[in-house]
Amino acid sequence: MNSKKYLIAILFVVSALFQAACSGNKDAATMAVNAAQESFNAVKGEATQYVPDQAKSVEDALKSAQDNLDKGDYGAALNSAKAIPDSVKELTTAIAAKKTELTTSFQGMSDGLPKMLDAVKKRLDILSASKKLPANLDKAKLEGAKSGYETAAKAWADAQSAFSGGNVAEAVAKATIVKDNAVEVMSTLGMKVPAAAAPKS
Amino acid sequence: MADEEKPEGAAPDRWDATQWHVVEKGETLSEISQKYYGDPSLYTKIFEANTDVLKSPDLINIGQKLRIP
Repeated sequence: MNSKKYLIAILFVVSALFQAACSGNKDAATMAVNAAQESFNAVKGEATQYVPDQAKSVEDALKSAQDNLDKGDYGAALNSAKAIPDSVKELTTAIAAKKTELTTSFQGMSDGLPKMLDAVKKRLDILSASKKLPANLDKAKLEGAKSGYETAAKAWADAQSAFSGGNVAEAVAKATIVKDNAVEVMSTLGMKVPAAAAPKS
Repeated sequence: MADEEKPEGAAPDRWDATQWHVVEKGETLSEISQKYYGDPSLYTKIFEANTDVLKSPDLINIGQKLRIP
């Protein structure tokens, strides 16, 4: 074989080896990015709900890995993707902690909010039967209080339903609306608000 | 009947929504009813909520803690 043909053969082999190496890197990077995406997808729903900032960080890291992959920077894509499963593990821990925190919060409110609603209902029933209203109250305020009570009572039913359905974040959000409405109604009626529900000064 | 008062030494219930009134000198249930309900004739509501401490709507004592429904 003459030297020119030999050189071409060498170049061909080197090129093939280079392509094989690159293809191997590409495959590894693709697999790593796909695996990272799958691991995040498994927790994405709850992560977005309970720890949205942390979820966004992981999503951004994933996007960066994908961008590197698309650009052909397989080394960078692989490095980015390899770190993501650990981040997903941290997300899982954070979700569990947040759920526990919210569940405790809801259980506290579920002890107290029915008591507030009951006290308001009793007072409204009595005031509705009154021939004249007390000094701090007029007809418009009383009607507003009744409407506020109805809103709070419905929100409480919704909160309980959300909690039963496993949607703790929504349950706490709705329970907080109940609390705020009940506090406003009690203040309108001149009632003392329970310490646990009083706005923090 | 509204919630009972907790025994002394027990941790206060921070969610307790019971409305209390401490009887002052010269007050009657009718006057207390007037204050909270705007209507003295509704004193029976206060009496009914406090039958554990009130034997009669006419017999209330200074310093007594009454539930106001």
